[in-house]
Amino acid sequence: MAEIDMNWYKPKPKYHEKFIQWFLLFCAAISIFITLGIIIILGQESLLFFKEVSIVEFLTSTRWQPMIDEFGVWPLLNSTLITSFIAMAVAAPLGLFVAIYLSEYATDKVRGILKPILEILAGIPTVVYGYFALTFMTPLLRLIFGADTVDIYNTASAGLVMGILILPLVTSVTEDALKAVPYSLREASFGLGATKLETSLSVVVPAAFSGIAAAFILGLSRAVGETMIVALAAGAGPNFTFNPFKAAETLTGYIVRISGGDISYNTVDYNSIFALGLLLFLITLTLNIISRRLVRKYQEVYD
Amino acid sequence: MKKALTMVLAALVAATVFAGGQQEGTKADDGKFAWITESEDGVLPGVNPLEVSGDIITAGSSTVFPLSEAMAERFADEGYAFNITVDSIGSGGGFERFCVAGETDIANASRPIKDKERTAAAEIGREPIEFRVGTDALAVTVSSNNTFVKDVTMEELAKIFTSEKWSDVRSSWPNEKILKFIPGTDSGTFDYFVEEVYDKDPSALLGTSDLQMSEDDNILVQGISESPYGIGFFGYAYYVENQSILSVLNIDGVEPNKANVDAAAYPLARPLFIYSDAKIMKSKPQVAAFIAFYLTYVNEEITRVGYFPANESVLAGGKQAWLKAVEGMY
Repeated sequence: MAEIDMNWYKPKPKYHEKFIQWFLLFCAAISIFITLGIIIILGQESLLFFKEVSIVEFLTSTRWQPMIDEFGVWPLLNSTLITSFIAMAVAAPLGLFVAIYLSEYATDKVRGILKPILEILAGIPTVVYGYFALTFMTPLLRLIFGADTVDIYNTASAGLVMGILILPLVTSVTEDALKAVPYSLREASFGLGATKLETSLSVVVPAAFSGIAAAFILGLSRAVGETMIVALAAGAGPNFTFNPFKAAETLTGYIVRISGGDISYNTVDYNSIFALGLLLFLITLTLNIISRRLVRKYQEVYD
Repeated sequence: MKKALTMVLAALVAATVFAGGQQEGTKADDGKFAWITESEDGVLPGVNPLEVSGDIITAGSSTVFPLSEAMAERFADEGYAFNITVDSIGSGGGFERFCVAGETDIANASRPIKDKERTAAAEIGREPIEFRVGTDALAVTVSSNNTFVKDVTMEELAKIFTSEKWSDVRSSWPNEKILKFIPGTDSGTFDYFVEEVYDKDPSALLGTSDLQMSEDDNILVQGISESPYGIGFFGYAYYVENQSILSVLNIDGVEPNKANVDAAAYPLARPLFIYSDAKIMKSKPQVAAFIAFYLTYVNEEITRVGYFPANESVLAGGKQAWLKAVEGMY
């Protein structure tokens, strides 16, 4: 009797498959280790900083000038928030409307033209945006409001241009959110006699709300971390002011200026940039976590 | 992050040194520099840039930068075929890289080296040698749209950079905010200004309102020129380059110009230096060559750049220091 080989179904061990699997795991692990490394370095160096500076002063004082022992983060944080909110004031409404147009109204042909143009906008180096702010937006603002009102370096100009920078990001994530709304909802709305505009604004947008919110938060987090535009156009000195036409340095702008000047290692000034970096990291991390939560929430509803 | 970068750079430098001795430049068989030619000034050996090989790394003062860059360009024009880096990072940054990190061959400075920087250099086996290359008249400038300030006293100058409004300094001046644009704290120009105007205490200046600081003098130039109520200071060369958009102030009634700098009448005239080390100059003949070239021809370039020649005797002192540093190799 011919013996049946019971092992016929067992695949031969494919070592190259195993290898590829390990290699891919390794690649995924690298990014995790890099993130961990960044957190550790930021934490370590910030610890050195907070050994010398009380965290209470850091978070409550409104003066920042490390050379003369003034360590209140508010002037820097304040201008970061001002530039970011100005950017959002541009990118949020504009992004939402462009996304509604692209997702609900545009024909394939129009979309085929509009989307690549938006993507080009996203591909412009931020240093170019920085000079655009300095040589176009600032003179424009000074023309409108007067050169005495608007400083040559000011947060409004940086914020407005930053809004253009994050517009493609906000648009594309918002559009994805709108597209994810099932077509049946629109059909139901049309069936009840709603116009296209009513459907878009009262049915699709509310249904995609969490996704849109996620897009805005993602845009905000991008704006908080943006460096080149604010370094060039927003000003190079800490200044606690709520007037967007005045020069005021942001968190990222300060880090760039201080690290550009090759200051001595292991001084408080040097360590201060890590503390600021950690703060920035925590802000953007929080924003990103919130936006992920929101995205997951809206995915759950329709999947 | 910067540390990591430095380490990577150090590793790269080490790798290139190990990779081939040609980076170290060439020496003639008799232990003398290979690039020596007929002397120009009767003191230093002449330099034939065509015979000079190996890269040169310099960094430091943004004030000295235009001068060092002009000398480097001339060096290259006359046949030097390798790379010479001139980084504009401030005098303090330049000394940091020369004395602590030990990555550069030459430090450019708009102030003399500090004792603690000498100590740091000694720890990595370097002994900085000072070469005086010229004189700067620190230029206090306002926008060319500013019509009310032409002349200030030293006392007023001190007051301007710590007051909020122009009218606080002189009652006839407008009741407008003073926007200040000054070099960063790492800059030799900042140190010099604090030393001369505030008796070495930077706290009043740093604690003032509407202060913009940058190691990049062009950012200061742009800020001042576009602000009718702005004021700032930097090396004279940056004023010369932007004369059409800036006005320079007279200090105590003295205009910054060659005659007043030579006569030591301008109160904010200050020396400009480059620093190197005897060991570097011996082991890297290209560095010795560049410094000799620099000292020989600096007076032919300095006026065009926008600074003033140092007086003959200090320049000669630098040449003697060069001869002493590389004794036996020329």
